[in-house]
Amino acid sequence: MIITTANLNLYYHKFQALKNVNMDIRRNLITGIIGPSGCGKSTLLRVFNRMNELIEGVRITGSVLIDNEDIYSPLHDLILLRKRVGMVFQRPNAFPLSIFDNVAYGPRVWNISDKKTLTEIVERSLIAVDLFDNLKDRLQAPALSLSAEKQQRLCIARLLAVEPEILLMDEPCSALDPIATGKIEELMLELKKMYTIIIVTHNMQQAARIADEVGFMLLGELVEFDTAKTVFTNPRDKRTFDYISGRFG
Amino acid sequence: MDRHFDEELQNVKRKLVEMAALVEESITKSLDALKKKNPAMAEQIREIDHRIDKLEISIEDMCVELIARHQPVGSDLRFLIGTIKMNNDLERMGDHSVNIADCLKYVVEGPQMTQITNIWSMARIVKEMLKDSVESFIQNDAARAQKVCERDSVVDEMRNETIRILLTFMLEEPEKIGSAIQYLLVAKNLERIADLSTNICEDVIYIAQARVIKHHAEQKKS
Repeated sequence: MIITTANLNLYYHKFQALKNVNMDIRRNLITGIIGPSGCGKSTLLRVFNRMNELIEGVRITGSVLIDNEDIYSPLHDLILLRKRVGMVFQRPNAFPLSIFDNVAYGPRVWNISDKKTLTEIVERSLIAVDLFDNLKDRLQAPALSLSAEKQQRLCIARLLAVEPEILLMDEPCSALDPIATGKIEELMLELKKMYTIIIVTHNMQQAARIADEVGFMLLGELVEFDTAKTVFTNPRDKRTFDYISGRFG
Repeated sequence: MDRHFDEELQNVKRKLVEMAALVEESITKSLDALKKKNPAMAEQIREIDHRIDKLEISIEDMCVELIARHQPVGSDLRFLIGTIKMNNDLERMGDHSVNIADCLKYVVEGPQMTQITNIWSMARIVKEMLKDSVESFIQNDAARAQKVCERDSVVDEMRNETIRILLTFMLEEPEKIGSAIQYLLVAKNLERIADLSTNICEDVIYIAQARVIKHHAEQKKS
């Protein structure tokens, strides 16, 4: 297991957004989190890199272990956590910088300034997301001039540049057309050989296509967590079946 | 309120039950014709088979369209996959019924044999197995389906017994070998119908409980 949650509860002031979530996320798999809007799936994702702490009034009980370390321990290094656990958002959020500087941004934060080392990191990261061949001659071009799909790939390359272990993806394809979505999905399947991926998606077919394991959430509760095969062919809980078959939600 | 998709699934089920009723009718008529040595019924059996074939194509088409358009999951997916397989099995049963009817001509025109009572006992069990397999599908009743599967070995034993009886006939009265072979073919076709009824029940269990029992898959897994 790379991530283990035990009796995890999360409150926004008095509202309980996560209810007693217990899950084990396995290394080098794609774990899909599905559920209707407001069920807590993005909240759960943000628990893994402590991004919820940026929201006022958040209170968390229970434990979240990454590689057996309690990430909510006061001794845990938050900066290091954000390096280990990267996040991709719904809309590509490339910085208004060059392609090169976007990818080099993280390593520079980590005090890498040697030009040769940075060039190697940028090249390696862009190769990993299959952008290098296409962009190698215009690395100084503005990142915002790229298509939405390439910007999303660039954002993933920016994460890879700081050598994370876990990639959190919050609806990474929701702003992309079906062809771009297909390409990002292919990329995820490649990346899982090196990284652990947790993806929140509204697109049931996307979860069915790429996830190895799937968690279904409803009203803050992790109703079911199993292999994608089981969830999509023989869900144990009627609420899961009703949701994935479009009977509610 | 049922969704449109649920209504479509019910339509598929209705069609499959309609097809199963035709298969039952065909088998009953072919065995009846054989018992009464009435070759005139062979044409009726062929006509039923044409209707079965048309339904097979129509049901397959409906299932493919529903899978493509609705991307079903869970028990909906299992229902459609199971239906495609049952559809195929029922169509094969229709063919076996025609095969039995094809034996009629020689049985009527060839040298007459004493009645092979074993064939009729076997036919009774095979018809019951088919009826129960269709009922288990209609009721989504895995327990009833399981009981049908358990009867398959009884039919296998009866077929072996029938072969032994017919071999004895052939040795004792070689001039009747032609007719005896026809009864051998009837026994073989009945045994295949029992196998296909078992397949249907395996699919019913898969649809109802997501369990794969064919080829003793569960025992091998454990």
